[in-house]
Amino acid sequence: MASMNVQAKALPPLRRPNGWRTAGRVLVRKPGRIAGLVIILTFVLMAAFGPLLYPATLPSDAAQIYAPPSLAHPLGTDFQGTDVLAEIITGARFVLLSAFLAAFFTVVFGTVIGLAAGYARGLVDSVLMRITDVFLTVPQFPLLIVLSTVWKFSSPLALGFVLGITSWGGLARAVRSQTLSLRERGFIEAARGLGLSNRHIVTKEIFPNVAPFVVMNLLFATTGSIYSEITLFFLGIVPFSNNNWGVMLNMAFFQSGAMYTTSGLLYLMSPLACIMLVTFGVVLVLDAVDEIFNPRLKGV
Amino acid sequence: MAAVMEQSTMPAAPEVRIRNLSVAYQTSTGLFDAVHKLDLDIPKASITAVIGESGSGKSTLAMAMLNSVTFPGSIRSGTIEYAGRGDIVTFDRERLRRFRGEHAAMVFQASQDTLNPLKRVGAQLLDLARSHGVKDKRKVLREARELAERMALPADRTLTSYQHELSGGMRQRVSIIFALALHPQIVLLDEPTTALDVLSQSHVLEIIREIHRERGLTTLLITHDMGVVAELSDRVVVMYAGRIAEDAPSRELLRRPLHPYSQALIRAIPRLTGPLDDAQALPGAPLELRQIPKAGCVFRDRCPARMPVCDTGTPELREVAPGRRVACHLEVTP
Amino acid sequence: MNYLKFLAKKLLGGLAMVYVVVTFTFFLIRLMPGNPVLARLTSLLQSGVPYQAAKQQVAAMYGFMPHGPLIVQYFDYLGQLLHLNLGLSIAYAGVSVTHILMSAAPWTIFMVLLGLFFSFILGVAAGVVAAVWRNSIIGQSSTFLATLLHGIPQFMLALAFLYLFTTEWRLFPFGAPYDAAIHPGFSPAFVGSVAYHAILPILAYAISGYGGWTLAMKSSVISVLGDEYILAAELRGLTRGIRIRYVARNAFLPLFTSLTLSLGFMFGGAIVIETIFDYPGLGYLLNNSIGAQDYPVMQGAFLIITAAVIVSNILADLLYSLIDPRIRRA
Repeated sequence: MASMNVQAKALPPLRRPNGWRTAGRVLVRKPGRIAGLVIILTFVLMAAFGPLLYPATLPSDAAQIYAPPSLAHPLGTDFQGTDVLAEIITGARFVLLSAFLAAFFTVVFGTVIGLAAGYARGLVDSVLMRITDVFLTVPQFPLLIVLSTVWKFSSPLALGFVLGITSWGGLARAVRSQTLSLRERGFIEAARGLGLSNRHIVTKEIFPNVAPFVVMNLLFATTGSIYSEITLFFLGIVPFSNNNWGVMLNMAFFQSGAMYTTSGLLYLMSPLACIMLVTFGVVLVLDAVDEIFNPRLKGV
Repeated sequence: MAAVMEQSTMPAAPEVRIRNLSVAYQTSTGLFDAVHKLDLDIPKASITAVIGESGSGKSTLAMAMLNSVTFPGSIRSGTIEYAGRGDIVTFDRERLRRFRGEHAAMVFQASQDTLNPLKRVGAQLLDLARSHGVKDKRKVLREARELAERMALPADRTLTSYQHELSGGMRQRVSIIFALALHPQIVLLDEPTTALDVLSQSHVLEIIREIHRERGLTTLLITHDMGVVAELSDRVVVMYAGRIAEDAPSRELLRRPLHPYSQALIRAIPRLTGPLDDAQALPGAPLELRQIPKAGCVFRDRCPARMPVCDTGTPELREVAPGRRVACHLEVTP
Repeated sequence: MNYLKFLAKKLLGGLAMVYVVVTFTFFLIRLMPGNPVLARLTSLLQSGVPYQAAKQQVAAMYGFMPHGPLIVQYFDYLGQLLHLNLGLSIAYAGVSVTHILMSAAPWTIFMVLLGLFFSFILGVAAGVVAAVWRNSIIGQSSTFLATLLHGIPQFMLALAFLYLFTTEWRLFPFGAPYDAAIHPGFSPAFVGSVAYHAILPILAYAISGYGGWTLAMKSSVISVLGDEYILAAELRGLTRGIRIRYVARNAFLPLFTSLTLSLGFMFGGAIVIETIFDYPGLGYLLNNSIGAQDYPVMQGAFLIITAAVIVSNILADLLYSLIDPRIRRA
């Protein structure tokens, strides 16, 4: 456009900035975003190395049931006299890994099905959307409860898969509608006119345009999945294969009556606090991601 | 035209008197004037056209005239006095509400979605009448029907329709009906015919002119189309970067534009006869708000007659003949 | 004519969905490790029941014959379902699943309906406040509260309520839908007891939904406020009252669909709250049926929970087409 010429004269030329550098700049714009990143990194480190710091079975001490916080036990002990901090640290891996896998599966199913339906249209679209409707209609928790009778999804991979397969519907619909509208745009028409393969058009032309939306959803789905999996453990739907925050909550509430003793409160509150912290961290970082992908929102 | 003669011979009290009006927009990098220290009189019973490229501040001026500049913009200084009504900038909320629609009404730029999508057109006309305490609501509906028929709309069907049942051109005509429904003194038309095809465009302009005469309206017409100016207006105000570049009776301006910007605008009109190349597009592009220089002439970067003084001295809007003002350092004679 | 066609299409789609769910649960039960039907039959045979009698007993229990080709069993099951026969419970020997579901459903409906009602009304009102006064302290605190409550998982909120109101302050009872000492009936004492016992779960449900409604209404109002016709209404000098009605009706429309859909999800949506407060609704029933290996009840509860969603989906489409003229004519 003609306006570019004048602008170029009046203002320093606009260089397309390096992606990582932009991300860095956006991140440091608000202190909250750095805090969010620090929180997430802390928990990721905890998940990666936490279990290495402790023996496979955490020691319990019958003389130290519901001990108050001390130097040896900064968060006190639980109903078996096990250190709560150790349980939190070793429990992080399962929670975060399965939540991430769940988010990953959600995003993969949602994106692939949405892209396919939106790009192929016609019969493929109808069939895929009817399937999506079924998955959107059947409520997640009741379905998981029923599924749990046949399938003991207690490994992170299985749990992630089952959470992912029950929650991709909304994303698929959104990606489909974006794909449908992208399909009508000039550059896709042009690509088809040039005879580029469908595979190329979908992966190289359409996908990059929905990618920001998908990344945002990956983060959303991670917090959503943490809630879902913790709820599943809390309700006792998933068999307990190892220690994690959800199991701690279930134990605290249903099995050990931590709810009713003031000394057990720390055992109940610690996993809750961790879940809120992780969510908080993700929300803070999400704000930065939003700005990276939608710079227009920054204001004039 | 008769109105032109009247105005140049008899300096009657203007219907609207704007003094020192500045409208600024707040952005992350500061306040920028979209309309800058503007003085303008709008004579009674005339059609005054305001012309300029997009971003010249002409729509902002129209919004300011109803004291309805919306956030992040605001009227920073100045007065807008309506004859017999006072300065609209000082009106309180209720007085302002009564004023709008009743004394001065507006037809929006590309008015496609100016109706509540969940209510029929007729019901919304009644809302309008009720809001302004009209006793005879039937009369409002009856007159709306007449107006609809004059603008070649099926009257009954239009009033019982929802917005989504009307075409773009129909919607724009309906919004003209809404503006005229309460017999305002002043009508502000912001690009009233942009959504219309060429034929309905001239038809609608014809009706605007008729009603303007019948009712003795004072009309302000915002446009970027010199053709509309030539066809309809008595006077024309040329705006650039929030300032008036030139202000003159339409015929005189069209015959002999004095400001280089007015000259460029007129050269840009494609003619029906003659080679297309005769129409020359304006070089460069209109300024963005934050590019407007603080000192000197705002048009200098695109001006073919740029002089050293243009970089430092801000040209005053000076009267070069009765009813003719120009803001340019060039020595001009009308 | 078009409307009837639309209606028929929606109903047919809903029926197809119910069929998919029924089929899914039927075959799921066959997939179960140690098929519960066969397991039951075996245990009856082992306890000395003659084969024919055991077979009949199991058939009555599950609503289908345990033997014979799977396809025959399947159609048999569908046939029973058409007569609303969902078989007999295992945990409550001899009680029909339909009866168990019917006695659990009212508790869920009662609690969720009220919870939804309060969260919706308060949430929508707070959303309007948050949108209209978004630049003032009152609007911003409304948004902040909503974001906070929306971010807290339901089970966490319920736990906090339980802890504060039944343990810390002992203001409310816990663990039953009414006082066991009062005879059920339409007596003031019984109704009062039911209300008293329901306050906490209703409150928890309402507050966990409140934030979502507020944020949804806020963004809807803000988007409508930015629409051209609202500015036009202001420039035409319409009264504040009329303009607020314009905004409210237009902003409410998209939320209306969500509300109808939420009604559908209410049967299954209260699992967490019912479990935490020991409130004997459908979600509680479904969750407990797994522990008790009561598959007929599980099957029935899942079916009714899903059917509710399907029905509300259809209802949402129909009602929306009635209140939005743009859909009605299209």
